[in-house]
Amino acid sequence: MSKHQYCDGYSRRDVLRVGALGAAGLSLPSYLQLKAAGAVNETKTKSAIFINLGGGPTHMDTFDLKPDAPEEYRGEFKTIKTNVDGVEISELLPKLAQCADKFTVMRGVSHSLAAHELGTKYMNTGNRPLPSLTFPGYGAVVSKEVKNPPKDLPMFVAIPNTPQTAGFLGIEHAPLSTNASPELGKPFQVRGIALGRGLTVADVDRRQNLLSDLDNAFAGFESDNELLTGLDRFSDQAHEIVTSSRSREAFDVNQEKPEVVARFKHDTSNPRDSQFGMSCLLATRLVTAGVRFVTVNFGGWDMHQNVGQALKGKLPQLDAGLAGLFNTLADNGQLESTAVFVTGEFGRTPKINARAGRDHWPRAMFVLLGGGGIKGGQVLGASDDKGQGPANEGYSPDDIAASFYHALGIDFTKEYHSAIGRPITVVRNGKLIKELFA
Amino acid sequence: MRRFVSLTLASVGVLAWLAPANGAEKVLKPASQRFAKEDVEEVPSFQRHILPLMGRLGCNGRACHGSFQGQGGFRLSLFGYDFKADHEALLKGDKPRVDLEDPESSLMISKPTLLQPHKGGQRLQPGTWQYNVFVRWIEAGAKSVEEADPKFVRLDVTPTEIVFKKKGQTVQVKAVVHWSDGTVEDVTPLCRYRSNDEAVASINETGLVTALDKGDTHVVAFYDNGVSPIPTMMPVSDKVGPNYPDVPTPTKVDQLVINKLKKVGIVPSELSADFEFLRRVSLDMTGTLPTPEAVETFLADKSADKRTKKVEDLLASPAYAAWWTNKFCDWTGNNRGQLRINGGNNNNVNARASEHWYQWIYKRVADNVPYDQIVAGIAVASSRKPDQSYEDYCTEMTSYYRKEDPADFTTRDSMPYFWARQNVRMPEDKALAFAYTFLGVHLQCAQCHKHPFDQWTKDDFDSFKAFFADIDYRQRPEDAKAAKAMQDALGLVRDPKQTNNDFQKLVTAAMDGGKVVPWQEVFIKASSNGARGKTDKGNRKQQSGRVITPKLLGGDEVLTKEYPDPRTALMDWMRDENNAYFSRAIVNRVWSNYFGVGITEPADDQNLANPPSNAELLDYLATEFVAHKFDLKWLHREIVSSRTYQLSWKTNPTNRLDGRNFSHALIRRLPAELTWDAVRYATASADEMLAMLEKPFEKRAIGVSGADIPRPNQGNTDINYILTTFGKPARATNCDCERSDEPSLLQTVFLRNDRTMLETVERPGAWLTVVAKQVGEKIDGTPLPTKSEAEAKGRSNEKRTVEEIARNEKQIKQLQKAGKDEAAAKLQEKVDAAKTEIAEAKAVAEQAAKAEAEANDKKDEAKKIAVHPDAPKYIREVYLRTVSRPPTDEEAQRAYHYLEDSSSNITGLRDLLWAMLNTKEFIVNH
Repeated sequence: MSKHQYCDGYSRRDVLRVGALGAAGLSLPSYLQLKAAGAVNETKTKSAIFINLGGGPTHMDTFDLKPDAPEEYRGEFKTIKTNVDGVEISELLPKLAQCADKFTVMRGVSHSLAAHELGTKYMNTGNRPLPSLTFPGYGAVVSKEVKNPPKDLPMFVAIPNTPQTAGFLGIEHAPLSTNASPELGKPFQVRGIALGRGLTVADVDRRQNLLSDLDNAFAGFESDNELLTGLDRFSDQAHEIVTSSRSREAFDVNQEKPEVVARFKHDTSNPRDSQFGMSCLLATRLVTAGVRFVTVNFGGWDMHQNVGQALKGKLPQLDAGLAGLFNTLADNGQLESTAVFVTGEFGRTPKINARAGRDHWPRAMFVLLGGGGIKGGQVLGASDDKGQGPANEGYSPDDIAASFYHALGIDFTKEYHSAIGRPITVVRNGKLIKELFA
Repeated sequence: MRRFVSLTLASVGVLAWLAPANGAEKVLKPASQRFAKEDVEEVPSFQRHILPLMGRLGCNGRACHGSFQGQGGFRLSLFGYDFKADHEALLKGDKPRVDLEDPESSLMISKPTLLQPHKGGQRLQPGTWQYNVFVRWIEAGAKSVEEADPKFVRLDVTPTEIVFKKKGQTVQVKAVVHWSDGTVEDVTPLCRYRSNDEAVASINETGLVTALDKGDTHVVAFYDNGVSPIPTMMPVSDKVGPNYPDVPTPTKVDQLVINKLKKVGIVPSELSADFEFLRRVSLDMTGTLPTPEAVETFLADKSADKRTKKVEDLLASPAYAAWWTNKFCDWTGNNRGQLRINGGNNNNVNARASEHWYQWIYKRVADNVPYDQIVAGIAVASSRKPDQSYEDYCTEMTSYYRKEDPADFTTRDSMPYFWARQNVRMPEDKALAFAYTFLGVHLQCAQCHKHPFDQWTKDDFDSFKAFFADIDYRQRPEDAKAAKAMQDALGLVRDPKQTNNDFQKLVTAAMDGGKVVPWQEVFIKASSNGARGKTDKGNRKQQSGRVITPKLLGGDEVLTKEYPDPRTALMDWMRDENNAYFSRAIVNRVWSNYFGVGITEPADDQNLANPPSNAELLDYLATEFVAHKFDLKWLHREIVSSRTYQLSWKTNPTNRLDGRNFSHALIRRLPAELTWDAVRYATASADEMLAMLEKPFEKRAIGVSGADIPRPNQGNTDINYILTTFGKPARATNCDCERSDEPSLLQTVFLRNDRTMLETVERPGAWLTVVAKQVGEKIDGTPLPTKSEAEAKGRSNEKRTVEEIARNEKQIKQLQKAGKDEAAAKLQEKVDAAKTEIAEAKAVAEQAAKAEAEANDKKDEAKKIAVHPDAPKYIREVYLRTVSRPPTDEEAQRAYHYLEDSSSNITGLRDLLWAMLNTKEFIVNH
């Protein structure tokens, strides 16, 4: 998309040429050098699921409790043991406690952007936001890096939407947003994919024939024109997606076996409480079908008042959905090939405020990472004794981004060019957290 | 011609003929000759020889020592224009690169010659003139650049244009630099060179240009601060000179375009057909498809000047103002998500401010206010009128925002919100935004290092940035008391238990009710460091570089004490007829809208190494635009009246691959707003269409609602999803490239099968519903629901509705008790309607049962339906609505047969409409 010249003196044409040479001419020693530097990861990982906890969940009451801190810090919840020795999390997360061997808890993750929008951008791109540039979200980068994508599936799906945009990579890599979350026991239809309004595949085929017959104003001129060629290509692909059963079935969580659904369900009578669980179920189905990147947005964590009360409603939903996700992926043998990333935009103030709530706190937060070759059953990093900041060096969102891409087999030092030709690496400042892959 | 030459362009010698003939002055021979022998006496200069040579050898490139981390412990400024830092990097530090005692052992010599290990490989050969230049410089003490040293004046490169005849031909370029002390030197071997299209021509390091293929491009020479592009071309056909066919050139624009085409052997396409012209100009100028009636009338009109008349009609239409206001909002960055009115993140207030932004511009575009005046109202905007008290100011602002009978914001002289965005808080952000919006220049590179392709240095950026240091948006400290008093008077005191957001809501509520609340404002700070007002050279030195004098881009330093508001100096400079950027930026952007490609492309990237494809054309339009007192409608008229704009998209063998010389119309995907508007418009009833035409600002994506920018993490309403999918810019970064007109899979999936799309075709009030009535069919067109489906639906509807009725009846009683009879009556109406609905649903279910039984009886009968006698008329209308032309006989027949095979007339027409909305012909402008 970039027609600009590049800041570093290359024109786009040059870059293409260098790229082509590079692919053919990368010698074994230099490959090994790159590999040693952590830039290349031979990985089995095919897909990723990204859970965005919008609003910024508290670390103090979830995965980084401080039972020994003064009362105004530690809050009302106790820790429970998990199935991993020495790892303890909140008592409101019993199901996750039983599968803690499947993910790593990152503590002492730290940055300095206390506004929702900026923090969200940071955590969803792995790059500190700049006013002059929109970084692509993780899903857009993955979409760009997929080789030979299948024709009848979107590569990047957002349930129901996501703050991750294609940024400077161009709208070709934008997510397909479902715009709704699946609900327990209800059929689920996704915009553009489900056949709505009484249409059958036969109807669609018949219409398509009419369209092919009438769409001939540019006959004979298509081959000279990238736009026309592109429109024809997408036309074929859209028809495949709409008429093939693969996408439609993957999206229809209602087709899932009841015993699988039960794993994601929150044990209340209100089906809305299981919406996050059903979204996680949908995410696993999509990954199984071959979608490469799925985001699930689960908001409502901006608990400025009565944090304890709010968490009692919220955490069991998170618990059910995430435990269902990890367990199902593991049982299907997909955990090795699917990287999972769970994060909010920041943590919350260690000290409880006058309204019994916690406010924005980016200096200390938690992140969960699992699957995709990431070692499970450990805690990495720590916050200080009151949860106010990292105890040691801590981890930056950039480091986590570098490691997440590494798990996905994407070279995080790879360079893209923004539309004005500025060279930008996938992750600008991150370094690999080796302990994740021990 | 001479008056088109700006300060900047002249200074780098784009027009070499301005310089005295080379023979008339003493030109120093090239360094390659002067330093060929070891025993040379001349001392090379750091600025003139050493740094250019290091640039050529690649030392200060990004992958080498120009990297921000340096390389091997040695760091140079990227692309080298930080003399002091580079000199220090060479001479100081733990490991100086220069050894004055033993010059040839200096690391800067021994490493690039590989006498010592050098990761960057061999860059220098002993015994060469380059080697001698470096060694001689060190021998003479390795002097840096002094303040008093002569300054770079210009770089003259000859020839000024290269036209090749066949592949493999070569031309040697010669580059001569002029310094302020009168020195003139041949720097051909010291320049860096680049070809803008290496498929057409290459240029090697000695400046030898080789023709590689047909086409046209530029080769560019870089030296010090000079950038000189040379148009380089090889005709694509033998249609040059006397062989060139006789092509009409009715306007000046046409003459200038054909002048260029003649050189490259490209013959333009034929004139477009009337229907093509009408659709194209309607979309480009007003963002709106022509109505079916307009198409018929235009095609039937036999008068010779009908295209001219059409252009005048369109220019006078509200849609023209709406579409171009939308464009202005793109360029100026109208985005409520970035606005921080009164410092808060109050979406409600920010959204209204964003609408004001749109409306303020709309009024001026509609009234054809001169472009420079519109810009002045934004660029030099202050919130408060001179001598307006804080209280009066707050009263004024509140009057625009109160819910009841708000005052008209568009009557304000200025629109200050450009400066109230969170992404332009810092002076550097303001400088970047200003340069992008009003000058079409990207300064991002120069923010950190010398621009690799343009003249801008980091110093230039810092001096430009100085204009914006004192512009602020907040509450003035001296008004804090008054503001507090205002809130106190309204009883607005923040409870410590209250979040700030909740408190702000109370303030907004008071404002909604017309109570005067405190407002923040754009104003000029009293200068913090006393820089303004004493920025003459003496002071500047005294303060050892801490104070930076505002300097116009490529222009003069400004003594800002003459300007209470430093931005007015910028505005004066921009309005000057010699300004190289201001008028070109807008002229080029408008052109780019009509042709899909700018004369300079990308349209917002004016830089010396990215020259226009037709400099004479851009000069002509820019100069005349200024001469016509920045009259926007003149500009639009001038462009679309040309034959060039009205050419067909159908190419011929000579112009098939041309994408930059305007030899044929380029096929472009409709912009996001136009796509969605066109879908709604093409499917609208005549009444709806009229409303969209008359009030585009209310009813359309190009209207004021379009000011509400989609933000992915702020909910995903339908309109946001659609506009984002089709590439509407978020208006959050300084780049026209934020808008995308590329196709994507999601777009096609949307048009094919999205619920919203399918519903739109048959929404209540759509054209199809009108037709349904006329042909006596049901709108849903689908076979009547089966008995079981209808029953199931009926049951579920009934259950829901019965529950709702019960709830509502309870509420009615409560309302009546509370004496709210009006509300109760309203609710009663709803209950009655619901009851009717149940009865109707039952009837439908019964009918369905009957239909199903009948259908079963008829299963084996022939499927063809009775096509309505008016079907051909409807088929024609579908074509007029979507592709703005009648169908061909063949197309009409195909459609008719489809109708015959459909389950009903409406189903068939709906499918036809769907198919036409999914053709390439619909989604592109051609």
